[in-house]
Amino acid sequence: MSVIETRNLSKIYTHDFLDVENGRLRFNFFRRTTALEKLNLNVEEGEIFGLLGPNGAGKSTTIKILMEILFPSSGSARILGRELGNKAVKAQIGFLPENPYFYDYLKGAEFLDYYGQLYGMSRKARRKRIDELFTLVGLPDHAPNLALKGYSKGMLQRIGLAQSLLNDPRLVVLDEPQSGLDPMGRKEIRDIILSLKQAGKTVFFSSHILSDAELICDRVAILNRGRLVAQGNMTNLLGSGAKEYEVVFSGLDKALLDSVRPLARTILQREDDVLLILESQTDADALIRQALSQGARLVSLTPRRETLEEYFIREVSRKPEQEKSEGAAA
Amino acid sequence: MGKVIAIALNTFKEAVRNKVLYFLLIFAILIMAFSAVISDLSISSPEKLIKDLGLASIDFFGFLIAVFVGVYLVYNELDRKTIYTIVSKPIDRTQFILGKFFGLLFTIYVNIAIMTFVFFAVLYFRESTAYEVMIKHLYSETSPGHFVMVQSEWVYYLKTIFLSMGKSLGTMFGVYTTVLTAGLMKVVLMSALSLAIITSFAIFYSTFSSPTLSAVFTSLTFIIGSLCEDIVRYADKLAEKAGGISHLAGAEAFKYWFAIVAVHIVPNLSYFDRRMNAVYGAPDIAAPQLFPPLLDWQTIVYGIGYTAAIVCLASLIFRNRNFK
Repeated sequence: MSVIETRNLSKIYTHDFLDVENGRLRFNFFRRTTALEKLNLNVEEGEIFGLLGPNGAGKSTTIKILMEILFPSSGSARILGRELGNKAVKAQIGFLPENPYFYDYLKGAEFLDYYGQLYGMSRKARRKRIDELFTLVGLPDHAPNLALKGYSKGMLQRIGLAQSLLNDPRLVVLDEPQSGLDPMGRKEIRDIILSLKQAGKTVFFSSHILSDAELICDRVAILNRGRLVAQGNMTNLLGSGAKEYEVVFSGLDKALLDSVRPLARTILQREDDVLLILESQTDADALIRQALSQGARLVSLTPRRETLEEYFIREVSRKPEQEKSEGAAA
Repeated sequence: MGKVIAIALNTFKEAVRNKVLYFLLIFAILIMAFSAVISDLSISSPEKLIKDLGLASIDFFGFLIAVFVGVYLVYNELDRKTIYTIVSKPIDRTQFILGKFFGLLFTIYVNIAIMTFVFFAVLYFRESTAYEVMIKHLYSETSPGHFVMVQSEWVYYLKTIFLSMGKSLGTMFGVYTTVLTAGLMKVVLMSALSLAIITSFAIFYSTFSSPTLSAVFTSLTFIIGSLCEDIVRYADKLAEKAGGISHLAGAEAFKYWFAIVAVHIVPNLSYFDRRMNAVYGAPDIAAPQLFPPLLDWQTIVYGIGYTAAIVCLASLIFRNRNFK
């Protein structure tokens, strides 16, 4: 079953009639910005789905529409098989917004208790769940009794994640869950997301940290300038075969190195070691055979698949140029 | 309902952790204490000055709390984006507005209760420390022309403070009343009702405009609403001077219609002002028909109805809002 399904979802912002920009009045007669254009997404139950894209691509707008913070200009969306706005559905969703800033006058435990009440949880259920969550998200022992204004950015992100898990949701929506975290914090969030999947939950999150997305996502969608550029699983998007081969030799003959120069895309020399990047497996095989026969030592051979980052940059930077040339041709 | 209460309590928590609230409260209490001191300057009736100033302070500071705390309540949720996590929960946006409204109203009422407590205590204290009364309690006439001090001045003051506080609580809960405070609690209740209207306006304006604009709009509503009777009288005078509404022209006509329209779109808060009656309107000195009664059902229904309508309007706007 589709957990999230959007059909031609669009959002056009109309600007305020009058605006102050750089200290000057600016009239915005009929000025509009398209933040999202005819988005069709499909997120299946139990998967980790990453929504990727550069800043201003429409990731947050998509999530905000799904969470009913914004209303779509056109198109429709269904969550857990029901139209947006259904309270029974909302009771099964957990949401962490980007850069969360919570009520700083509340203590950690008070804050989670308040949100638990909004989910309609009983006092007993709230107390039990809150204790569990403080441990789950890895907050220190003093966190429940510390006012949120005393929380560090990482702690806020963790308690934000805790509030999104209060109701033991079927679907967890996270907007940039790793922004502002150090590498340790990022890894912990990654582990929590993976453990959510193991518990059978669907995780839908936006990110621009592509290496992390590549590690944990079952499927991704790439947005750019409000449009869907690509959608699919990693094998679909990146291909299953290797794109290039990294070969490292030590003690490689200079004459041999010169002779293979045309074959290699890149050659890096460091002390006695030489790294060559070759595009085809046949070239790599031939090179290795020849080098070994001349007494060089093979240190490593690594077939390399295209990374999500390379794919992403290619897709995102290709589109506007392509559109421009298409526009010029027309 | 439980969710509305949860939001209201959180709103109350936010408000009581706001320093502005304490500043206003301390200032109101200082004015009341000060009124007891300057009341000595009044030759005829010092307690009337205390009553007038005290009741006016309760009303005015209640209004200031509604404005300074109220206009930020919704704005802060949008500005800090806490609203994102709220609307994604299984609650209705109307529940959110209701929670904010009742939370703010509760904050204002707690403050009114504190101010009223101080106000009554000041009145009772002032009554018991009037020169003649004190003389009677401090000295005893042992033989004609001979007086002996029976207790220390400071002990008497201390006793009076506690006694006044007790009497004040009694008056607030309607179990103790003297001629001095007769009817005053009803005036406070009517003030509280008019503040419910102002609170609903503060929330209403803040659902669609910035705190500064909301504060200006709320203040204008309060000022025009409080002066309704005077504005109507002014408009009538304009018409009278011109010899009828149809004879009004130019600027005069504009002034007339502006006044009439203004009076009809804002709530008439002068209905709720029963100060004159309670302070000056003792039945033996003035004809009763000159003053409205202290409490009447029409005004109570008007107040609650108006408040409900404005809260509905606020929630209607809020339901359809995009939060960028």
